[in-house]
Amino acid sequence: MKTRREVLKGLIVSIGGGSLLSSCGDIARVDNSVNGITKFYSEKESAWISKISDLLIPRTETPGAIDVNVPGFLDGLMAEWANAETKENHHRGVEKIQSQLGADYLILDEGNAISRLAELDAKAFKGRPREYTEYRSLKGLITQAYFASEDGALLEQKWMAVPGKWDPRVEI
Amino acid sequence: MTDFDAIVVGSGMSGGWSAKELCERGLKVLVLERGPEIKPERDYVDQLPPWEQKNLDRISQDEIEKHYFKQYPGVAYAVKESNKHFWVKDDEHPYETVEGTKYDWLRGYHTAGRSIMWSRQSYRMGPQDFTANKDEGIAIDWPVRYEEIKPWYDYVEEFVGVAGNRDGLEQLPDGIYQPGFELTDAEKLFKSKVESTFSGRNVIQARVAHLTDATDEQRDLGRTNCQARNRCHFGCAFKAYFSSLHATLPAAKRTGNMTIVHNAIVQTVEYDSEAKRVTGVRIIDALTKEPRFYSAQLVFLNASAIASAMILLQSKSEAFPNGLANTSDQVGRNLMDHVSGAGANGIIHGFETQKVFGRRPGGIYIPRYANITEKGKPYTRGFGYQGSASPMGNAGGQMAGIGREFKEAHRSPGPWRISIGAFGEQLPNPNNRVTLHPSKTDKWGNPVALFNVSYGENEHIMLEEARKDAVAMLEAAGCTNINSNPVNLTVPGNRIHEMGSARMGDNPSDSVLNKWCQTHDVPNLFVTDGAFMTSAACQNPSISYMAFTARACDHAVKLMQEKVI
Repeated sequence: MKTRREVLKGLIVSIGGGSLLSSCGDIARVDNSVNGITKFYSEKESAWISKISDLLIPRTETPGAIDVNVPGFLDGLMAEWANAETKENHHRGVEKIQSQLGADYLILDEGNAISRLAELDAKAFKGRPREYTEYRSLKGLITQAYFASEDGALLEQKWMAVPGKWDPRVEI
Repeated sequence: MTDFDAIVVGSGMSGGWSAKELCERGLKVLVLERGPEIKPERDYVDQLPPWEQKNLDRISQDEIEKHYFKQYPGVAYAVKESNKHFWVKDDEHPYETVEGTKYDWLRGYHTAGRSIMWSRQSYRMGPQDFTANKDEGIAIDWPVRYEEIKPWYDYVEEFVGVAGNRDGLEQLPDGIYQPGFELTDAEKLFKSKVESTFSGRNVIQARVAHLTDATDEQRDLGRTNCQARNRCHFGCAFKAYFSSLHATLPAAKRTGNMTIVHNAIVQTVEYDSEAKRVTGVRIIDALTKEPRFYSAQLVFLNASAIASAMILLQSKSEAFPNGLANTSDQVGRNLMDHVSGAGANGIIHGFETQKVFGRRPGGIYIPRYANITEKGKPYTRGFGYQGSASPMGNAGGQMAGIGREFKEAHRSPGPWRISIGAFGEQLPNPNNRVTLHPSKTDKWGNPVALFNVSYGENEHIMLEEARKDAVAMLEAAGCTNINSNPVNLTVPGNRIHEMGSARMGDNPSDSVLNKWCQTHDVPNLFVTDGAFMTSAACQNPSISYMAFTARACDHAVKLMQEKVI
């Protein structure tokens, strides 16, 4: 696995037209987009999705959203699952999130990027105002995609294919 | 000489039982299934882990619009990208509704029918359910009482394998059960609060057709205990859940007496007016459109309440110009389902340090109390609730926070949420019916179904009260953040419990079947799917279909042995 800095470097390069997801492993499944070849997002959108995904679900002791190629997964999802109306709405949603985070967001240093995302997130979930519906929706997709990945399911959620029994009471 | 002793039309919940019971009594049986064969090793997707599920297991929105525009909105919780082949494509199997009405006809055409897709809630009807029509002067009386059916419930439950608890409730009789799935502590608290606050209300374990202590007979069929995966809508490689595919059809097959033919769409049951008997069935091959005829001494219709009624209506003759066995004009009428659309959920407190292990296939059940232990309701009959209390856990990212804290918050079980939803009884109404569309046909030339089904005032009032009751019970349990949406009745058919379209009764002038599910008009014709139901009760009906089917088979074979038919 590459270091998180190497991954993020890939993201920054992508803003200038470089290969956005070139640093990703091959963990992601189905028809996800890999190696920076996107089917739905523009390169600019991909950079934004990647940045937000990385800050929402970073690499810790377990792989993060970038490690499992959440951006590629969402690209494939929108290309294959969404109909024309949903696609259009999603493009608009990403655009709205960009405006809410600010045009300079992708070139902020990490500390400021985290602060600004945290600020947006707090606004979005305090009373769940309608103007942040798109952000909440994207956050939901990123989270679902992450925990549906092999690492997200097995390492983070300890998902078991065959529990073998039902125990209604496990103290933690 | 006929091709077979008996023909069973349909291989699903009741058809599997017909096949098993008739074969085990020595009859040579032909089972006709209109859909293709299901091969578990090829068609089951229950072993697919989340990361191999395409697009979060979502069917593409364009595909839904083209192929699943009825099935998907009807049961979005169950129709997924990986298992969509279990559900019919609506554009290939169309139906119509009378203007101003709606109907959800949710189907699976393949071996074992919807018995591989059901949710396996298995509750007996109670004594009150068999007398309600008579007591209230609604529709017609059932020709049987609970005590007559009781031994047949025992019989089928022992074979099926139902996990549950014996709760000692008169209105929801106990059965032959394997160990149930223990309630969570939150559910136990809810049970305690509800039962102490509302005398006569009970909260019990769901009774579900999953093996938890497989018998030798079940193991002989290759069945094993439930592995608590809750992947039931995708198949069950462990054969722990009950389906025709893994229980009744294999039991029939091992007798050496069963022949099963797939892709055989039954169009008519043929009638000999001189012999006053049916002689067999005409089918069209779903793939080649080739017509064929199979003869038999006995015909069991198990195509589902709607399809069996349509087959009868299509089987017109000089003797039966309005459809076979339809001198009562009741075929297709009194179509019922259960009605939902009322319930509540809320946060139940005190369990934040607990989580669960495994994924059980059922939760809690609140048996009917309305007009049983609590009288004087502004409606007749009643409803049961299904529900569960479980940790909210990963809320799909819908919580505040970012970064490590947000990521690791998903490890926590979080607050516990309890939710309950009502399943109410729909009253029989002869105007609620399915008929043959006068002009539209499907690609095999068969008339498409035309539904005209609406709920009555009783269902509307009952569900409004069910919503209030649900909120009151959650309040009694100290729940907070209680959410109860305005009542929005489910579309008729949506509960997938269609029944009543060839009701049983004592009088041939107002019923299609006698107490044995045998048509009044034709002695060697039986209908033992949900069509026989004279009223709906409020319990999930499949186990009743099974019990009545087994009983009917026993009777039919005795009649054959006695040369009565």
